[in-house]
Amino acid sequence: MHEFPVMPLGPFNIDLSTLIAIVVSVIVTFLIAKLAVRNLSVDNPSKMQNFMEWVVEFVHSFIASTMPLNRVKPFLSLGLTLIMFIFVSNLLGLPFGIVTEPHHAIPSLGVTEEMIAEHKELAWWKSPTADISVTAGLALIVFVIIHFLGLKQNRKHYVKHYFHPFPIFFPVNLLETIAKPVTLALRLFANIFAGEVLIATILMMGWYGTPFLVAWQGFSLFVGGIQAFLFTILTMVYISQAAIHEEEH
Amino acid sequence: MAWIWESTVIAMVAFGVLYWLLNKYAFGPLFDVMEKRRQLVLEQMNTAENSRKAADQQMEEQKLALQQARKEAYEIIEQSRTTSSKQAEEIVQTAKSEASRLKDDALKDIESEKNKAIAALRTEVGGISVKIASKIIEKQVDEKSQEQLVGQYLKEVGNK
Repeated sequence: MHEFPVMPLGPFNIDLSTLIAIVVSVIVTFLIAKLAVRNLSVDNPSKMQNFMEWVVEFVHSFIASTMPLNRVKPFLSLGLTLIMFIFVSNLLGLPFGIVTEPHHAIPSLGVTEEMIAEHKELAWWKSPTADISVTAGLALIVFVIIHFLGLKQNRKHYVKHYFHPFPIFFPVNLLETIAKPVTLALRLFANIFAGEVLIATILMMGWYGTPFLVAWQGFSLFVGGIQAFLFTILTMVYISQAAIHEEEH
Repeated sequence: MAWIWESTVIAMVAFGVLYWLLNKYAFGPLFDVMEKRRQLVLEQMNTAENSRKAADQQMEEQKLALQQARKEAYEIIEQSRTTSSKQAEEIVQTAKSEASRLKDDALKDIESEKNKAIAALRTEVGGISVKIASKIIEKQVDEKSQEQLVGQYLKEVGNK
């Protein structure tokens, strides 16, 4: 498999391909959103505006399926940002890749003599979500939001749920709390990474692989959408569980 | 695949920045406009409802006005009918009285003409009889009476 260019910068190691991928994803996401709201109009909406409003309505409705309708509003922006960013990120690695083969050691990119000997290649282009570090970052944000909101808006029930139904279950509940963001991160990463691995594998077949590649890219498109949706709706479910307590329960 | 925690930090920062950017430049205005659209639709529906109500009311008013007008027209016709019949009667009455007056006048005229004619005839007859009488007298009185008259006069003159 490919290696990724990791640049040591002082005490830090910067993965350049991930950095590029994240920056490109952010820019693309922002440009799409910005273009969609370029000519906002109250009485004569453009097609892009209609599309964007459809996205908003869609996200609004599935957030509303996880929590009471009057609590949706503050999470709408978060849900929209999550789903758009993850969807764009998932698709970023699909259309093409940029791969270079170094012929001598480049310490500033983390290329060592051993890698040269093994004819390792450097991949510069990928989906940011095909990197466990990035999905972990997203999951960590969600983790922080869940527990911050839980403590702030619903402290009593939030604390109580760790000892539910009996105090003896505390370790289990703790495990569940930790498992949530871990599964979030791993699911997203594994799906997208597997997709890219398979694309790289199909590419090894040469020209014969073209129909498989087309089929798999189409499927990856679908998987990318599904995973973005899943990540977002699970986030909302977790927020709803932690922060919103309904009196009926 | 190695865990590179710097990537995690970068991803978190990037996501935060993206969230802030989208909120400020894309979603904020979009939500505003969507809210305004909702308001607009609501307003338009209210306006439509109001205008429908107003139309209904006006319809009702117009119906009433129409009925009123119809009633008035009927009254006017009725009134004019009575007036006209009264007038006709009056005219007939006037004509009748006029006719009788004229007849009376005519009768009076006839009477007076008749009287006049009778009077004229009378004078005429008088005149004619006088003439006839004078003619007869002229013939009889002649010489004898003249002599007598002259003799009488002479006598009278001699006595004096």
